[in-house]
Amino acid sequence: MVIRMMNTSILLLTAIFFPILLGAAVLLAPEFSSRKSLLCVTGAGLFLTGILACFTVGSVQSGVRLFSLGDKLEIYFCPDDLGRIFAVIVTIVWILAGLYSFEYMKHEKEEKRYFGFYLMTFGVLLALSFAGNIVTFYLFYELMTLFSVPLVLHTKTKEAVMGGLKYLFYSLCGAYMVLMGLFFLNKYAATFQFTAGGSLNAALAAGNEKSLLVIVFFMILGFGVKAGMFPMHAWLPTAHPVAPAPASAALSGLIVKAGVLGVIRTIYFIFGASFIRGTWVQTVWISLALITIFMGSMLAYREKIMKKRLAYSTVSQVSYILFGLALLEPSAMTGAMLHMVFHGFIKAALFLSAGAVIYKTGKTNVDELTGIGKEMPVTIWCYTFASLALIGIPPASGFISKWYLAEGALSSGTGIFTWLGPAVLLLSALLTAGYLLPVTVKGFLPGADFDYENLQKKEPNLRMLIPLLILAALSLLLGIFPNPLTEFIGGIVNTVL
Amino acid sequence: MTGLIDSLIFLPVAGAAASYLTGRKNKKYRDYLVSGIAILEFVLAVMLLLQYLIGGQRENMTEMSEICGMGLSFTVDGFRAVYVCIAAFMWMGTSLFSIEYFRHYRNRNRYYLFQLITLGATEAIFLSADLYTTFVFFEVMSLASYVWVAQDERRESLRAAATYLAVAVIGGLVMLFGLFLLYYQAGTLRIDELYGACQGKNVYAAALCMLFGFGAKAGVFPLHIWLPKAHPVAPAPASALLSGILTKTGIFGVLVICCKIFLHDGVWGTFILMLGVLTMTLGALLALFSIDFKRTLACSSVSQIGFILVGIGMQGLLGEENALAVRGSFLHMVNHSLFKLVLFMAAGVIYMNLHKLDLNEIRGFGRKKPMLAFIYLMGALGIGGMPLFSGYISKTLLHESIVEYAEVLTENPGAAIFFTAGGMKAVEWAFLISGGLTVAYMTKLFAAVFVEKNADAALQEKYDGQKRYMSPLSAGALLGASLLFPVMGMLSGGTMNKLADLGQGFMGLAGAGERVSYFSFGNLKGGLTSIVIGGLLYFTVGRGWMLKETKEKEGSVYVDRWPKFLDLEEYLYRPLLLVALPAVCGGICRILDGMIDTSAKFLIKAGGVAAGLLDTLVDAVVVILRKTIYRDYSKMGELKEGNGVTYVLGSAANILCRIMNRSFWRKHPKDTDYRHKLAMEYWRIRETGYLITRSLSYGLILFSIGLCATLIYLLIGAVR
Repeated sequence: MVIRMMNTSILLLTAIFFPILLGAAVLLAPEFSSRKSLLCVTGAGLFLTGILACFTVGSVQSGVRLFSLGDKLEIYFCPDDLGRIFAVIVTIVWILAGLYSFEYMKHEKEEKRYFGFYLMTFGVLLALSFAGNIVTFYLFYELMTLFSVPLVLHTKTKEAVMGGLKYLFYSLCGAYMVLMGLFFLNKYAATFQFTAGGSLNAALAAGNEKSLLVIVFFMILGFGVKAGMFPMHAWLPTAHPVAPAPASAALSGLIVKAGVLGVIRTIYFIFGASFIRGTWVQTVWISLALITIFMGSMLAYREKIMKKRLAYSTVSQVSYILFGLALLEPSAMTGAMLHMVFHGFIKAALFLSAGAVIYKTGKTNVDELTGIGKEMPVTIWCYTFASLALIGIPPASGFISKWYLAEGALSSGTGIFTWLGPAVLLLSALLTAGYLLPVTVKGFLPGADFDYENLQKKEPNLRMLIPLLILAALSLLLGIFPNPLTEFIGGIVNTVL
Repeated sequence: MTGLIDSLIFLPVAGAAASYLTGRKNKKYRDYLVSGIAILEFVLAVMLLLQYLIGGQRENMTEMSEICGMGLSFTVDGFRAVYVCIAAFMWMGTSLFSIEYFRHYRNRNRYYLFQLITLGATEAIFLSADLYTTFVFFEVMSLASYVWVAQDERRESLRAAATYLAVAVIGGLVMLFGLFLLYYQAGTLRIDELYGACQGKNVYAAALCMLFGFGAKAGVFPLHIWLPKAHPVAPAPASALLSGILTKTGIFGVLVICCKIFLHDGVWGTFILMLGVLTMTLGALLALFSIDFKRTLACSSVSQIGFILVGIGMQGLLGEENALAVRGSFLHMVNHSLFKLVLFMAAGVIYMNLHKLDLNEIRGFGRKKPMLAFIYLMGALGIGGMPLFSGYISKTLLHESIVEYAEVLTENPGAAIFFTAGGMKAVEWAFLISGGLTVAYMTKLFAAVFVEKNADAALQEKYDGQKRYMSPLSAGALLGASLLFPVMGMLSGGTMNKLADLGQGFMGLAGAGERVSYFSFGNLKGGLTSIVIGGLLYFTVGRGWMLKETKEKEGSVYVDRWPKFLDLEEYLYRPLLLVALPAVCGGICRILDGMIDTSAKFLIKAGGVAAGLLDTLVDAVVVILRKTIYRDYSKMGELKEGNGVTYVLGSAANILCRIMNRSFWRKHPKDTDYRHKLAMEYWRIRETGYLITRSLSYGLILFSIGLCATLIYLLIGAVR
């Protein structure tokens, strides 16, 4: 009843702007009297935004036009199924990582700045999910970059600042490529609004396909910067290790996915899949995605710093999603979107467990983690379940998405990629096992000469464990009961392909 | 039946959790609980078998369509029911034995947790009705069983377990690739629909990938590497299960490929037969040369898997008339599971007492221990194929199938696919020699442990004095299992034939077929030939070559005569997969990774260098010019003030002035420097000029701003 009474457009706008304004207020406010009051404000903000986001996802059907500059440039929100699913992932991961950072950030300074920007980015991500046209999307995409930079360089060490700047430069570089595309779209697209199946004006586009293909390619590359696609992936392994663990989890789980969302919007909602099917753009895109998959896994396998290893893993895994999208095939796209959801939860869980280890023991190198499973069993169990899901060991979730991806690749009719794609996926899965499982194995099987006498339990407290447990459970249970999600995603896929 | 299937799979999984939680409070109750679950599982399995026997062929499919996307499905047939029983039986036997075996182990809770999960997964594999389900539980089984290989966490154990895990993960992924292909080509993974769905399609690539995965688990050459490494270090009950039942899940998969996809396919059969012969012979050779008790048994497993594969290959070659091969390979599977249960547990008894497995060290332990000797002997005679023991029956069937095919080829040489009649003769001899090798290595173990005396007399005395070496419960479990072999061998009509009748349907054989008289002269001849070869090999190789007199101690020691460089894992797989490939690929990836960053850095550097170069280039030109054309000389062209015009005019005026001073203005000469004056004048004019220009510019700017404001005003007006 309450919802019906409340104007849906107000609900939508509140969900987006409440956290942004609250975040700004936290930033501008003078020092809080105690840490507790800061956490109360942030916690209440996260919780309320979560509720608002849930109601928005559940009830808002129509679009909201905020204001407009001229005929085409309007700020317009319209939740569709794709946006809803993204908003749900954002809400879950953001709130859980937020809860986790209440404990984690204890050993960092300037929490006010962190939580202020954390709240603002939440709102921006929600806006990104609900954006109804490419202009709005672009606006909030840039805002997301700017608001998340302070999260990356939070510790203000030299590496952190350099990492943050690298992140900023790469992102801006990508954004300009996208912006260039927007200028062309202004001329050739019938509308800026996201239209399932594409909104290209066929009459105008006719004859200009060649230049438009170059434009599509640049837009893919541009969004690919955020998604960590080769050759513009290098910011990830620099920015992730220096950020605080919950920020890494959010970056890797969500902000990277914003690039993926951008690609989906561009290809499936503006240009249309048929526009690039069979062209050089598709071939190059698939090749880049496959190179990234292999390269990311290989480098992760050879990396010794835990968080950097996970960052390379993100590079690889997000390209699974891009590979699935590039095939332009329903089953592959289902797999890609499933992987988008699963990877969001899995990678957040992995980063949070790596963070818990750092928080409790200060160990960052993989080789130092012998016996860690004896010290922090619950944390490492969560890590293990998430790892199994990421490798794709049934019945955990990654297996389901990879199954769809591989089946999609086989029936996509893309020549050599029909079998090369699945082969690379499996090779990468092998490497994934190679870089994730040793931590579990050494952690739980430290060797017969392990010193059990001086063993101390170092399990973190519930504020850190509960988010971890929920995320690990999600990454396992979504694999055992994937059907509702698969059907929902199937509905989206059917509208665009 | 549905409920029974569900409980067979989920009882152990639930039990695993329960036993783990119990174990945190009380170790004793945990042991009871685990044994209780294993016994209950066996009872359920037997109920399933009975229900199947009574209920027969009625609809017995169970589906859980909501799980794991594609849904899981299970079914029961004779083969599956028998293997579910055997698996449960083996778990029951090992659980009872484990109580004593693990008494002094750390982390037992973990062992039982994963052991029970593995039980559930193994039962699910044997019950699975589609390959998707098989794969799901195959992976669960592989990972869960890893933990018990690594149980004691010694360095060798961890290394061997890592090999096991690597083989399992790689095998699983390659198998998954095969499943992708198969599902794409056939459109189904339902095992009983596969034959129809694959007709007329080239599914060899898919089948090879799947064979890789299942073969890795079964221990088929060249993927057998994990067996000889993992078994000696794994706890004995775990070895028994690994060797007896986990390898059979691999064989189950191979059977699905051979009997459901390539039913009666001669080409595929030939391929499997070749793999089988290689595995059988090499495994047996490895076993003969091994001087570690459990390693011998592990290599023996490889060899026996080879025997089974030979049977499976013969099924394909013989086509419709393959009753002998079908029944032989199935019975040999069953036999081998049970043999290895008993033999590994016997090894466990030795290890439990001595914590050693080297033949030279455990030599003589079994003297004056008739119970252990009897148990081991039952297993050894069984696996050696001694007439009146169960192994003889299955080996005879397999041997006869080879002979039968050789006869077919002699009559009709055109039917040969790869092996001619002569080739089959060679296969037959390989079979008999491998049988002989089996006899030889089992005799070697028996002689070493139960007959010979230890080289160290004091140690021998200690061994002889040891009377209590296993608990009554363990003894009961072992004895019960070991008595099966003579019983099954002697009452073959009632036991072995019935079992074969149950199992053959899975392999596409219907009808009872003719009864083989196992003890006819022709059949006995094969068995006896093997035993004679075995005796010869034992005395020549086993004693003659491997036993070496030593000077330090009295008597002789067993020497490891197997060349070290033949270790595939150590000298091929590990260097290739862990060093060479990652180094090459990692290097390439490292280059790709740094491409943008490096090229950005490079561009900046290169730009700097280029600019510097240009910079110095101009400098150089200037220097060269100054040294040549514009060579420095005094104040040439440099004006302190004014410009050229004022200078020239001023100079002219000065000259004029000087002339005037000397002529007309002699009285009042003028002292003005016109050059300076003109320069000053020029400067003044220029300054004024600047002022005017600037004022004008300023005015223009103001004008422009006004104009812009007007335009914007107009524009806004227009837009509105």
